[in-house]
Amino acid sequence: METIALTINGIRINCPAGNRLLEAAEKNGIPIPHLCSHPSLHPVGACRLCLVEDEKTGRLMAACVTPAAQDMQILTHTPRIERHRRNIVRLMMAEHPESCIVCNKGNRCELRGVAARLGIGATNLYPMPNYKQMEQANPFIVIDLSKCILCGKCIRADHELVGAGAIDFYMRGFKSRPATLHDLPLEQSNCTFCGTCISMCPTGALSLKGDYAGTPERIAPSVCGFCGVGCSLSLGMAGEKIVEVNPDKKSNTVNGATLCVRGHFAMDFLNSNDRLAQPLVRENGNLIPLSWDKALDLVVRRLFEIKATNGSQSIAFIGSSKCSNEENYLFQKIARVFLKTNNIDNGGYLFGRQLLSMVEKRTDKGGRFNFFAGSLSGIEKAEVIMVIGADPCHTIPVASYYLKRAAAKGIPILLIEPQHTELSKDARIMLNPIPGSDLALINALSALLCRRGSSENSFIERFTRGFGSYSQSLNALDLNQAACDSGLSLDDIEKAADLLAGKKITFMTGRGISRQRQGGKIMDALLNLAMMTGSIGYAGAGFHITAAESNMVGSWDMGTVPDALPGRRLLCEEETQKEWEAVWGVELSLKPGLNMLQMIEAAEKGLLKAVYIMGENPLRALQEPERVRKAFERIPFIVCQDILQTETTAAAHIVLPGAAVAEKEGTFTNMEGRLQQFLPAILPPGDSRSDFDILSALYQKMSGSPHPLFLSDIREEISRVLPMHTGNTQSSHLVWIKDFAQKNEARADISGSSIEPKFSDVFPFKRDTPDSEYPFTVLLGSDRYHLGSGTRTSRSYRIATFENSAKIKPKQRAQSPHSLKYPDACGGELQISLADAKRLALKDGDAVRLTSKWGAISRAVRIQKRLSQGLVYVPGAYNHNDARCLIPLTPLFSEESSGWNYCRVKMEKI
Amino acid sequence: MDQQEIDWAKLTEIINAHRDDKWGLIPMLQKVQEKFGYIPPEAIAPVAEALQLHPSQVQGVISFYAGFTMKPKGRCVLKVCRGTACHVKGSRSILRAMKKNLNLEEGETSADYQFTLETVACLGACFLAPTMLVNHDYYGRLTPNKINSIVGIYRKDQSDG
Repeated sequence: METIALTINGIRINCPAGNRLLEAAEKNGIPIPHLCSHPSLHPVGACRLCLVEDEKTGRLMAACVTPAAQDMQILTHTPRIERHRRNIVRLMMAEHPESCIVCNKGNRCELRGVAARLGIGATNLYPMPNYKQMEQANPFIVIDLSKCILCGKCIRADHELVGAGAIDFYMRGFKSRPATLHDLPLEQSNCTFCGTCISMCPTGALSLKGDYAGTPERIAPSVCGFCGVGCSLSLGMAGEKIVEVNPDKKSNTVNGATLCVRGHFAMDFLNSNDRLAQPLVRENGNLIPLSWDKALDLVVRRLFEIKATNGSQSIAFIGSSKCSNEENYLFQKIARVFLKTNNIDNGGYLFGRQLLSMVEKRTDKGGRFNFFAGSLSGIEKAEVIMVIGADPCHTIPVASYYLKRAAAKGIPILLIEPQHTELSKDARIMLNPIPGSDLALINALSALLCRRGSSENSFIERFTRGFGSYSQSLNALDLNQAACDSGLSLDDIEKAADLLAGKKITFMTGRGISRQRQGGKIMDALLNLAMMTGSIGYAGAGFHITAAESNMVGSWDMGTVPDALPGRRLLCEEETQKEWEAVWGVELSLKPGLNMLQMIEAAEKGLLKAVYIMGENPLRALQEPERVRKAFERIPFIVCQDILQTETTAAAHIVLPGAAVAEKEGTFTNMEGRLQQFLPAILPPGDSRSDFDILSALYQKMSGSPHPLFLSDIREEISRVLPMHTGNTQSSHLVWIKDFAQKNEARADISGSSIEPKFSDVFPFKRDTPDSEYPFTVLLGSDRYHLGSGTRTSRSYRIATFENSAKIKPKQRAQSPHSLKYPDACGGELQISLADAKRLALKDGDAVRLTSKWGAISRAVRIQKRLSQGLVYVPGAYNHNDARCLIPLTPLFSEESSGWNYCRVKMEKI
Repeated sequence: MDQQEIDWAKLTEIINAHRDDKWGLIPMLQKVQEKFGYIPPEAIAPVAEALQLHPSQVQGVISFYAGFTMKPKGRCVLKVCRGTACHVKGSRSILRAMKKNLNLEEGETSADYQFTLETVACLGACFLAPTMLVNHDYYGRLTPNKINSIVGIYRKDQSDG
């Protein structure tokens, strides 16, 4: 890169060409005060505080917008500039209310900081406060525009980083201010409450609503424990409470300056009254407190008794896709070493882990380095993006910002979803296939690309096997039939193929595929398409699989799965067995254990005698709740280790109180494969302990060792036995899994590795037979205010308040669709199409009952103009996640599965 | 006269005609305003969608320029000049007479959507001070007496039409 040399304050410095003066000065340690500039936003030169003087001409210019030029001579702190700066700040202060003492921003106010450094106490100007009304109706953000200095950071963050476009400047001159469309309250705009604007705002104009006002007593870095994006957080604490969350200011974080509504605001679930604070044991039907020592002794004694009398197969362990790598490793080690069982699973089963394993299996391991797209930042460098079976705007909002930014840069997005999603407006082409027909559509797309010769032949020849028979079966495909099966016109599919032709594809896919009836076949078809187009090995291209939970990837890596040991080593190989027997010094069984669903089936048959659940809530998450509850009733011994009172702790015999992310130490592996460490910021409530401490005490009791096991011991063991985790023992905050970051701009060299991806067969699509008794198709989704089944997020005071205020009130019922105050169905309503609403004479807010073959739910309806006729959309997690009862509990990824995403229902007004 | 339901076909026609224009926003808004007399708030979303902007951005542009309005205006828009020269020549009494004659305050529109009374900073016709502009016609060297006859012309116009 070309560098240029210039002089600032008599010091000769070098900077890359294209840098602005402010960047150049700051990189060289020369501070220039500024309020409106931010490294991740386009500079606009609004505040004028970064004025600098050109020594040659005497011109004053704003350093944030002036590009550095060769041989410039710049002065940053002359008396003249200082005088101007002081006057600018004095004028800002004259317009600012004198409310610093009660301001939420407290000592973090940048205006106050700048004034302090310039030595401005009293302005000696006539105060002219520009009072504007305050908005604090929503439970997340307080807007006090009398403190606004019109720097435009909130607006630029909204447009450039988040892509929501909820606010922009409104009016001009003295009246000018940021406002939503039609100047409505935020909750009636398309604001997603990501809170990025709060963290950006240099003054108290935008602040967090909560019961604490002012500067937190201390701040600590952490990692978000909700979804799999793994945002870096900066937690603000007062006493032992988290009172504030902001994006961490470190560089190279996944989230940069952004967060989402969950990360920013839902952390208040930690203060919920439902937190567990002491070990409990069930006696005469009630849970009563017990000391840690007695509780753990009881767990060890009962588990060993059950193993001795009923055998290892009668014991199951459910680890957690929300617990750390170290905890999951130790958890499965306890299960495999002391209880000799492979019946281990975790919540990742529900949210897409099978897709990860499929990629792995198809490539004989090493998949992560080549098939997976890796860093999310690659999305913004992609050639074309295909989003299929994923609603990233709601499941992994921060990753969706990458997609929106990519779209804003002109990178085409092909969106394949049965219904419109928030991403629709950013997509170049959207296809709405009939639910469950993705396979037909992908086959058609692949066939079109293959027939046009847009397969990447050099790649296919060099790296893959089986293309011949694959292309033959593609050529034999009846395109018209495929189009008809997917409910689309062949024209539209051809347009989509045009978009993909000749480009490397970046895929984003998730539970829309993993929970679909033919999920495995669809994933196979997608992998074939990726290989045919050579979309592997380039930075950017490859698969992003949405991880709904913080450590879905890590818990898989750490082996809390029935069929693999840590490091994703499949159990069926003898070599693996020998290796791990040597590591742990015990005999291991090669037989894969039961997955979550098979555990339920075993429990129903009375085969399961004990289950140890760590940080999962299967009684809330699994379909057919009544069946699952009955199955759990048949298990004689249930240990549940959790942070909250849940449906599952209510069924447990022993409850062990664990700690949340902010209260313990550990590492998560995010959906990119990035390993991130977090440290305790606050103490866990009452007697509760970090989950690692609980497991380590159990380990000690089971092994009879006199020495306790420390976190560092397990880290040392992990990095010794899992080569990809080398570097984990260092205490640095951010470590990439070894080799992961090495995927460069150019094709990663995959020829030397053992992988040789094989094309799989083209599976023909089989159509569902429609059922006239159940004329509607219900799609189960999720929305951004909740994660998974909502165990944690429904305990957030702010989220619960928002949900209540967003519910359609009875007086709104009779009004037209346009009169609804909240554009999103954030009160958990089910959504129906306009045509169906007319046919059934339904209005917004009317209550209906949905009945499937397996269950029924009642909800208010909301008319969604963009939904196609015959479709009903229900967001999950609401109302104790009751929507799950509509769908049968069948094994995912198998022939007999009916899928977990949608089912046929009938609808009646009540 | 009630506020009318907006003519979506007309709006769609304008939007489609300018959909692919570079820097098409302001010309598109001008066309909309020309056709409807104002920019209906309902038009913001479709305009934004056509140009791939956020609706809030479109609103920002509309509210920035005094030339755009989101409220329906009267058939006759009367703009009384309040520039320095006109002020010296007594434009305050002209405005007062206008208010009395039309029974409107500054910025208001009559209930029958015939008249809108506005003020402007300067019409650039200071040699005619005090001046006003009715739609596209200038009137100069005004006196409070002249007001009645000028307004009368436009009233008469209405009864003719």
